[in-house]
Amino acid sequence: MPKKKKGSVAGAPESGNNFEEFDLEKMEKETEEMLRLRFITKDNSVFERTEGGFVSLKMGEEFYPRIQVYHAFPFTDRDSYISIREADEKAKEIGVIKNLKKDISKESREMLEEQLRLRYFTPTIEKIINIKNEYGFAYFDVLTNHGACRFTIHMGGGSVVNLSDTRLMITDLDGNRFEIPDVTRLTSPELKKLDLFL
Amino acid sequence: MCAGMKGDVVILMELLFQLPKQTKEMLKLGLGEEIKYCVPYDIAEDGSFQENGYIVVTPKRLIITDGDRIHYDRNLKLLEKIKCEPLVNNGILIIKEYAQNYEKRIVRFTMHHLTRVSFASKGAERLRDGNVRPVESIEREKTCLKCGRALPGTSKCPKCDSKLVTISKFWSLVKDYKMGLVLMALFSVGTSVFHLYIPEFQQNFIDKTLKDKTGSTQDVLVFVGIMLLFTILLIIVEVAKNWWFVSLGARLSMDIRRKMYHKIQELTLSFIMDKRPGELMNRVAHDTRMIQRFMQECFGHMFSCIIAMVGATAIMLTLDVKMTLVSVVFLPIVFILSTAFRKNIHKRFHLQWVKSDKINSSLQDVISGMRVVKSFGKEQSESDKFNQLTEEFAVVQKRNEIFWATLYPMLTFVMSMGIYFVLYFGGINVLDGRMTVGTLVQFSSYAWILYGPLGWMTHLPRMITQMVTSLERICDVMDEEPLIANKENAIKHEIQGDVEFKNVSFGYKSYEPVLEKIDLKVKKGEMIGLVGASGTGKSTLINLIMHLYEIDDGELLIDGHNINDLDIESYHSQLGVVLQETFLFSGTIYNNIRFAKPNATQEEVIRAAKMANAHDFICKTPDGYNTYVGEHGHNLSGGERQRIAIARSILNNPKLLILDEATSSLDTESEYLIQKALERLTTGRTTFAIAHRLSTLRGADRLVVIDGHQIAEIGTHNELMERQGIYYNLVTAQLEMQSLKHEEEEEAITVA
Repeated sequence: MPKKKKGSVAGAPESGNNFEEFDLEKMEKETEEMLRLRFITKDNSVFERTEGGFVSLKMGEEFYPRIQVYHAFPFTDRDSYISIREADEKAKEIGVIKNLKKDISKESREMLEEQLRLRYFTPTIEKIINIKNEYGFAYFDVLTNHGACRFTIHMGGGSVVNLSDTRLMITDLDGNRFEIPDVTRLTSPELKKLDLFL
Repeated sequence: MCAGMKGDVVILMELLFQLPKQTKEMLKLGLGEEIKYCVPYDIAEDGSFQENGYIVVTPKRLIITDGDRIHYDRNLKLLEKIKCEPLVNNGILIIKEYAQNYEKRIVRFTMHHLTRVSFASKGAERLRDGNVRPVESIEREKTCLKCGRALPGTSKCPKCDSKLVTISKFWSLVKDYKMGLVLMALFSVGTSVFHLYIPEFQQNFIDKTLKDKTGSTQDVLVFVGIMLLFTILLIIVEVAKNWWFVSLGARLSMDIRRKMYHKIQELTLSFIMDKRPGELMNRVAHDTRMIQRFMQECFGHMFSCIIAMVGATAIMLTLDVKMTLVSVVFLPIVFILSTAFRKNIHKRFHLQWVKSDKINSSLQDVISGMRVVKSFGKEQSESDKFNQLTEEFAVVQKRNEIFWATLYPMLTFVMSMGIYFVLYFGGINVLDGRMTVGTLVQFSSYAWILYGPLGWMTHLPRMITQMVTSLERICDVMDEEPLIANKENAIKHEIQGDVEFKNVSFGYKSYEPVLEKIDLKVKKGEMIGLVGASGTGKSTLINLIMHLYEIDDGELLIDGHNINDLDIESYHSQLGVVLQETFLFSGTIYNNIRFAKPNATQEEVIRAAKMANAHDFICKTPDGYNTYVGEHGHNLSGGERQRIAIARSILNNPKLLILDEATSSLDTESEYLIQKALERLTTGRTTFAIAHRLSTLRGADRLVVIDGHQIAEIGTHNELMERQGIYYNLVTAQLEMQSLKHEEEEEAITVA
């Protein structure tokens, strides 16, 4: 791309107006920033709990009263590449923590893990009490690590996804997700109930 | 259509849950303080599922309860922000109080309540601002709140809907076919009587002619002859019956399909937009087929079977009570066995279906992505993946077929077990002289009548449920009232072209305003360019002018008449519309151009095509105006389709012209051609045009910039440029982009 300090424009075709010089520099700077991968470490950041139950971040001059914490690999690698983002709708990325265990202090890690637990809600199914199958829908009655739960899924494709040979992700009608981390750890009556989805 | 349903409560999203009495007392509601919204939340602070927490909104307060205590209680006036924030597979409610400088999360909930809470929080903000208009929830519950069953995209639960209602709905669909149904019943009774009479006749023959050895060869011949006659008669009646059932089913479903199609056309765009694509199509095609299948495969046979079974049991009872009991005892056992078998089979074949589905989708993936597969050289690995899938499928298929082949004969044996017992006990009776051979034969024939349809009967509950579900979904559409309907004395007004927005507000969802307090007066013949970032409501404004939606507040006047007073059809026929996606119907170019005015002459069509710069390219195609377009038709470029669409809109000589991104995504040449076409088109007509490429709007008399739900700027190009506001920024940004592109091109040329 040709580097150019300032761009000038010939003018609007029909009116013949000549435009003021256009601030290309600012635009380019913004673009550059969007393309850069900035890592957050304990040396360049201060995370703090807020009164409202969130976490704030101070990075040099920048201060974010509330940040959002995203997994880049929520299924396969929950400790690496944690994306820290602004709290508004645009959720612009502030930076990335390469390794949650190594790159930041223990306190910060705990804070961020809390926020991750808040953001991602995927109960793990520990016991299958019953699965009723009726006219295209399956009604689950299960025990999860967040307590007992009943939910309904659509039988026609897409509701149960194999994340690996033994790991299942189940999405119910409302869009809630449940995980079975290892189907081989289920008892055989439980497996039998789950038969249709394996 | 589905008459008698008026006054039923439709299950839209529930926003007013009933609080337990104790909890309600705890709220200490003031005099006249009424609960406006009450929705549950279901995740506790520690992340575990919770059941007894509610978010309660009254006109004065926002209260969060947690079991038997109050978790949060504030006057709405103190709250700056009440927001439902969706996270991943759950959501939180965030509050910002004026007195505090931070946002605070107060409750958390699963996706089950997400939409509910978002409605309630919008409602709370509205009440805080003194707006008493309630938030209407147009979204529907996914599961029945009463029984927890999944709702098949309908507003009412087919299970909880009382049986009587279902029957009356069914009746309302079939009531035009009373005679057909009577005939159906006659056929059913007829075949049943035949089936019941034949064993009686046989018994007479065996006991009177064969056993006593009194009959002659002639008697035997007569018997065989009569039996043959019976059989032939039976076949004729059965054929006639089936023919009748099928034709009745087909006619009925055709009728429903026709009514539904008509209804869908009549319904407001918002109803159709609400549905997932394909869903309405499914309702017209699939659900009516379900009704048809039910009528021809189930409804009639159900009656013949029941009549035959009741008749057989009655006759058996007159013959021998004890043996009747013996044969009936096995009925439930066989019924249970075959149900279990059917479930198992269903499970197995469902698995097979899942596997075959996987193969299909992987096939589709690879074939449609062939370019990518090849360009990355991944043919082998894709083949391997596919091989694995087909192998898995083959294994399942083989297992299922073997299972079926082995178990089916066994099941048939089990099904007829009752018959063996009848034969055993009957045989003993005959030996003891308590029963004649003829009666035994007769008895066993009735037993067959009893046991024969059992296998089929096990399907009955499923078929009925499917039918009821389809019925619900059909009635769901039929019961919908179009929001925009002609008033009683609607005016057939010939449009002159004056358009006036008076304080107009509108939102697709009542809680989400898209346009607020729009005031705009457009004179006859004026061209208005609508400018703004995407999603600001330009297309919405146009949708309102097209009267596809009802405005929420304010007035929209066409030549001084309120748009609601005009006859819809006559109004629409006077509009010319060119949209971004130029939809051409399957058919010839000629018919596509004539769409708005089917009686247009050839000359008129050619004139319109000329005006739209389309005549030339049309003539150059081998088939001229008879060129077939649409699906599987002649491939037209985007610009060509666009010009046909423009010709289509000119043909009617519309007084009001609407161009929504009519020239987007075209190359410069076709844009120039279309531009020329449009210039000719817009003279003398009131025109509303949306364009991202601002150069398209150079002919506009006035430009309207929409931003933040409102008209931000209005004026001619020069006026707006002088103002250096939003429009100025948009123009400079676009010119900048263009000059950058030019420079790059120039540089590329010099390098070369």
